[in-house]
Amino acid sequence: MYKKYSCFLLVFFLYVHPVFAVQLITVSGYIRDAKTGEDLIGATVSIKELSGKGSGANAYGYYSISLPSGHYQLTAQYMGYEPQVQQIDLTHPQKIDFLLTTKENTLNEVVVTSQRKNDNITKLEMGVQKLDTKDIKNIPVLFGEKDVLKTIQLLPGIKSAGEGSSGFNVRGGGADQNLILLDEATVYNASHLMGFFSVFNSDAIKDISVYKGNEPAEYGGRLSSALDIKMNDGNDKKLGVSGGIGLISSRLTVEGPLVTDKGSFIISARRTYADLFLKLSSDTTLNKAQLYFYDFNAKANYRIDNKNRIYLSGYFGKDVLGFGNTFGINWGNSTATLRWNHLFSDRLFSNTSAIFSNYDYRIDITNEIDLNIISRIRDYSLKQDFQLFSGTDNTLKFGFNSVYHKIIPGAITASSDVDLKSLTNKNAWENAFYISHEHTFSDKFSVEYGARLSTFSLLGSGNFYTYDSIGNPKDTTYYKSGQVVKTYINLEPRITFNYILNPQSSLKAAYARNVQNLHLLSNTTSGNPTDLWIPSSNNVKPEIADQVSMGFYHNFNDNLYEFSAEVYYKHLQNQIDYKNGAELNFNENVESQILFGTGRAYGLELFLKKKYGRFNGWISYDLSRTERKFAAINNGNYYPARQDRTHDISIVGMYELSKRWTLSTTWVYNTGNAVTFPTGKYEIDGKTVMLYSERNANRMPAYHRLDFGATWIVKKTRKFESSWTFSLYNAYGQENAYTINFRNNEKDPTRTEAVQTTLFRFVPSFSYNFKF
Amino acid sequence: MKKNRTILFLIVTVSVFFSSCQQVIQLDLDTSVPHLVIQGNVYDQAGPYKVKISKTVNFDAANIYPAVTNATVTISDNAGLSEVLSQDTAGTYITSKLHGKVGRTYILTVNVDGKTYTASSTMPVPAEIDSIYYKNSLFGGSQLIALDFINPPNKENYYRIIHFINDKQATGFSIFSKNTSQAEKTSYAFMSTNPRDTTTTPKLKKGDKVAVWLECIDKGVFEYFRTANSEGGQNASPANPVSNISNGALGYFSACSVRKRQIVFQ
Repeated sequence: MYKKYSCFLLVFFLYVHPVFAVQLITVSGYIRDAKTGEDLIGATVSIKELSGKGSGANAYGYYSISLPSGHYQLTAQYMGYEPQVQQIDLTHPQKIDFLLTTKENTLNEVVVTSQRKNDNITKLEMGVQKLDTKDIKNIPVLFGEKDVLKTIQLLPGIKSAGEGSSGFNVRGGGADQNLILLDEATVYNASHLMGFFSVFNSDAIKDISVYKGNEPAEYGGRLSSALDIKMNDGNDKKLGVSGGIGLISSRLTVEGPLVTDKGSFIISARRTYADLFLKLSSDTTLNKAQLYFYDFNAKANYRIDNKNRIYLSGYFGKDVLGFGNTFGINWGNSTATLRWNHLFSDRLFSNTSAIFSNYDYRIDITNEIDLNIISRIRDYSLKQDFQLFSGTDNTLKFGFNSVYHKIIPGAITASSDVDLKSLTNKNAWENAFYISHEHTFSDKFSVEYGARLSTFSLLGSGNFYTYDSIGNPKDTTYYKSGQVVKTYINLEPRITFNYILNPQSSLKAAYARNVQNLHLLSNTTSGNPTDLWIPSSNNVKPEIADQVSMGFYHNFNDNLYEFSAEVYYKHLQNQIDYKNGAELNFNENVESQILFGTGRAYGLELFLKKKYGRFNGWISYDLSRTERKFAAINNGNYYPARQDRTHDISIVGMYELSKRWTLSTTWVYNTGNAVTFPTGKYEIDGKTVMLYSERNANRMPAYHRLDFGATWIVKKTRKFESSWTFSLYNAYGQENAYTINFRNNEKDPTRTEAVQTTLFRFVPSFSYNFKF
Repeated sequence: MKKNRTILFLIVTVSVFFSSCQQVIQLDLDTSVPHLVIQGNVYDQAGPYKVKISKTVNFDAANIYPAVTNATVTISDNAGLSEVLSQDTAGTYITSKLHGKVGRTYILTVNVDGKTYTASSTMPVPAEIDSIYYKNSLFGGSQLIALDFINPPNKENYYRIIHFINDKQATGFSIFSKNTSQAEKTSYAFMSTNPRDTTTTPKLKKGDKVAVWLECIDKGVFEYFRTANSEGGQNASPANPVSNISNGALGYFSACSVRKRQIVFQ
């Protein structure tokens, strides 16, 4: 059955590309870390005889190259690892696995032509940022808790949603327009503690890629970006324990082989204990309060044989906030992914995933009445991906993804009659088929083109409404369970060109369309755990973004420095904003509170990075504009979106002072958000009321901040490693505005004043880390 | 040990919880042409009823709002009664014979500088107050002052509660709506006696007289106060409240039934 299927696909492929009728022989295998057995995602195998052309390892470390028979020299390479060379006589299909060792641990002085890599020039992807987990470790952040989401905000085109926030905006998109994946499972709320921490425990993370709007066709569902985070697989050679003890949180990771060289596991846990300190307080309100979060990451994998491997991974996290026994709110994500890698042949790689994802919050109030509110979004998903490698010039990717969304916007149980009523549950079925083909025409020119066909069906049961112009329900239709209320079908074409000018420079261009069918309703400055996801419906159309981008990439000093300049223009349709005074909480008719409009975003992103050496780091600069246009706002003129920031600069420097000390620093500057300040005031009921004119016509003051970090390795032996990390957030104590409010002057009530709230100045922190 | 704990506690609380600070800043705000502001009330209690007409000022000006003294103000109802209001103090227009009646629709007409502004509001059935009392808060053990009242059945009732401390109206108000199938006793806590819990002024002291008004308002007025309540703070897009007055005037015109109670804070 499977064979037949793969044969069919192969025939299809041969039909499209008759050139492959030539007899080719395949060399394939896995590229892994020699010490831990972790797959090295994106490692490359190049062939000397083909002037360095080759293949990249996929998300599971698998590569496959088909060549005419002959003698070849293969070199496997990966950033931060020693390259490895293998000579082969290719007369029959061969399996060659590469086990690479990290550079720092190599005592072997054999000089391999340690050619520095120019992947950024040759690779057929643009608008992508990859983050080295080592950088995350060294870059100082708020509270010293190293954090993936805060570190990516230092990269071009990715901006922080606010002070200390793990929320981010990509190329002018909203915070809900980012697809955040953890081992393929959607994470609906990536924030802990109102955004000061992200849900990603960096000890459990192996690989981070951010695609800024022109993601490959296998990603879809959000307008601005795809953030693909992959968890560590665990060491399959030996048992290891690592962890850290910090000021407000601690973490512990255990990993080891299930069966040596065949399977491994990793379990990572983290908990904050800010509330333990609250208990020491003498204030009776504070010491009864609960305020903490915890999360677990777990993953196991097993190689059944050369052709089959299974992975099981999961995440579970929870935030708890409570006052004694009378009030509590908790929220969190849980995800589970079961994956099966299968090689139909040495050229056809398949991955099948069954994915579960859940985000919920729960509010408990116990007083005269007991009230309990639950809200949840849950996905059941099946994903099938195929990757067909042929020659060194072609890779075909295709597959499908089917997701069933179950949304409980708000279910209420109460011990007695309350005015709140449970909201109608929403169900939706989302499907996508994709195909993309990467083709290298010559040494200089390559293209990847493809498309994603997505469908979204809103299903009953329940009442569905249409609204008149002022938002009162006009018609009500009841749909039975499973009955289709509305279906949207969208074709999302994607294409990327790469023209290599010379080994040091290239030009790239891309176009992509993205469609989004789940929308987060949030009208607060900082985002809440209770913000509601709503599906596209008879009233809410899918959001659509078309992005064109161009880039110039140049490496110099023997690839020691990397420079890139990218420009983009994005047109957005069916964007969401809110009516004045919109009621978004517990409103059955929440869709009547929404306005629909268009948007545009454009900008220039400059990036200069020093990749190697004792001193390394980068400078990133964005010049951009993001605007929205709604008939009911600002007379239908374009106005700046809240996240519009003209200038955004990040400077990151890391310096290895000695074997024991590494110092780091970051400096960020950005134009303030677009906000609405009053243009006057008046009096109603004896109270001063602010007068507002244009939406987002004003600016918060510019934001800037300097952070320092240091890592001190106390001990480093084969058996035991320990280190201290220190950080100082906002080192020159800049009073950045978090909010600005307007009120009557308390001393002189005949005057009004603007009051700025600053959150963090001079926040020092330290943590102790160990590994054995 | 204890000392260490104290130091650790101090470090954490200082860095985490108290590192936020507030300060008054100077902002160069945009200015606006003066807008007309109208506030009018008709109650089911004896008059006179007032309509105040003023103009907006720029943010950095003093809180002195220019009175509009050249307006012609008329209130009429759907039973054929009509009265032209006379100016009392500058910008405040009062009725002399009108008496608000439950169920009637009142229409306000204001003519200023050749422009006409109109609003209409229907006076709802009042909700009778049963009692006023103290109760404990859900959070932190503060004491609240609450009202029990009877909610008129089988329709959506819209409420606004305002309170006065020693006859001075406190800032802020509560609004809510309620629909029950039977006349039902309903409890509503409208203020905390703990000055720390509120941002409203004036603050409450022992011996102060607290007067509360339970207003039944119509939907248009409710929308005004609902949208006025969502202004400022964490709202990402503050805007002017939705007024029930035509032609772009700010403010509201409300015909409401009101019940009052009083308590002395001990």
